[in-house]
Amino acid sequence: MTSLRVPPSPHHPLPHSGAEGESGRVGEGENRSSSTLSRAWAVAAKDAAQELRRRIALASVFFFAATALTLVSFAIGPIGVPLESRAAVTSALLWIILFFSAATGLPRAYVREEETGTGLALRRVASAPIVLAGKTFFNFGLFLAIAAVAVPAFTVLLEWRIDAPGILALVLVTAGFGLSVVSTFLSALVARASQKNVLFVVISFPLLLPLLLSAITATVEASRGGLPGTALRVLIAYDGAASCAAYLLVRAAWED
Amino acid sequence: MKVLKWLLLPYMAVFIAAAFLWPKPAEGFLGESSRIVFFHVPCAWTSTLAFLVAAAYSLAYLVRRNPWHDEIAAAAVRLGLLFAVLALITGSLFAKVMWGSYWNWDPRESSFLLLIFLYGAYLFLRAAVEDPERRASMAAAYALFAAVLMPFLTFVAPRLTASLHPQTVINPQGKILMDSPTKVVFFGGLLGFSFLFLWMLSLEARTARFLRRQP
Repeated sequence: MTSLRVPPSPHHPLPHSGAEGESGRVGEGENRSSSTLSRAWAVAAKDAAQELRRRIALASVFFFAATALTLVSFAIGPIGVPLESRAAVTSALLWIILFFSAATGLPRAYVREEETGTGLALRRVASAPIVLAGKTFFNFGLFLAIAAVAVPAFTVLLEWRIDAPGILALVLVTAGFGLSVVSTFLSALVARASQKNVLFVVISFPLLLPLLLSAITATVEASRGGLPGTALRVLIAYDGAASCAAYLLVRAAWED
Repeated sequence: MKVLKWLLLPYMAVFIAAAFLWPKPAEGFLGESSRIVFFHVPCAWTSTLAFLVAAAYSLAYLVRRNPWHDEIAAAAVRLGLLFAVLALITGSLFAKVMWGSYWNWDPRESSFLLLIFLYGAYLFLRAAVEDPERRASMAAAYALFAAVLMPFLTFVAPRLTASLHPQTVINPQGKILMDSPTKVVFFGGLLGFSFLFLWMLSLEARTARFLRRQP
């Protein structure tokens, strides 16, 4: 694992990071990108180690997902959903559970740094886009872990048959990535504001709704065995737009 | 701006009179309900324009760090919200006449409501940060991020599911389906509302600058 080192000078915080490195030599570009990736990966690994050390935080995310699942199966299980509307209703419920479960864990990315007073040190050892990439990796992993537990449990509890599980996995990956990018960026925005948790929900929901709508549409199609071409294209376009915007704006959101 | 104010007064008076008296009501709509298009669409257009102006001034703030740009961006968002609420109200009145209910969870209605939440959140964010420089940076970053994702809410999401909403000006045929008098009044309304917004923006921004300079 690449370690994060404190730089010798505040004016050149990342002499070998690639983000601020200055060299036009042949082969340097490749080294730079691999160094940037490994530094982002180091930030993700640091976050994972921190979260695993404080197990209560991670456990609470999964506990929330389990509680929401149980609540939904209690409410809907005995009544049952009519066959013709089953795909639409269960897809919407699945994404509501995934969104709110993720919303309990993903905003912590930057908020934790500010609460524990490590934000300043992190700003010194890595540039804002690298920290954003690392925290997005970690959040994406966390989302996939939540989905890996919640989706099979959901299908079993609600007796919901998915005709195209591979397509559903693709939908989960593309939508989960967008969800992670936007949540991580917004976490950077609210990290130094008051009323962080309420503010995160207020600002994230309208921004994430197009993604959630597309994800629900795509999940309905996947559960019926179809290929959700339009919805998947929207998800990919959303991921691209959100990633570029977050990369360009994270300095203003977190460093200033 | 004084000239603009005095030109706007007769212009808007003529526009309102023309909207009610000149074009015939459109076919396929109940009674005179189609005339609401002359007010509803310009309100929706002006709110979008306001949010784009906010994004442009937010970018200007991040480049130049001039507090005046931040104040204009914030003023544009406040006015955009005002016009968005007016678009929602006029749309609901039309929905009541045409579909029997003020609110139908139509994707276009819902996406516009979410647009109001999206920019309402901008004001929440500003209120949650005390340091003026940090507030300006964060608000600018959020306004630009929201502007990048706004098309997904206003253009993409409403087209993913079936809608009751009448065909929009930007339609699949690529044609403006209006007769000549309707077209003149409609585009006259868009122009009038745009200038009305610019005048209100200058008032709002000058007020904000005045308040900043108060000891």
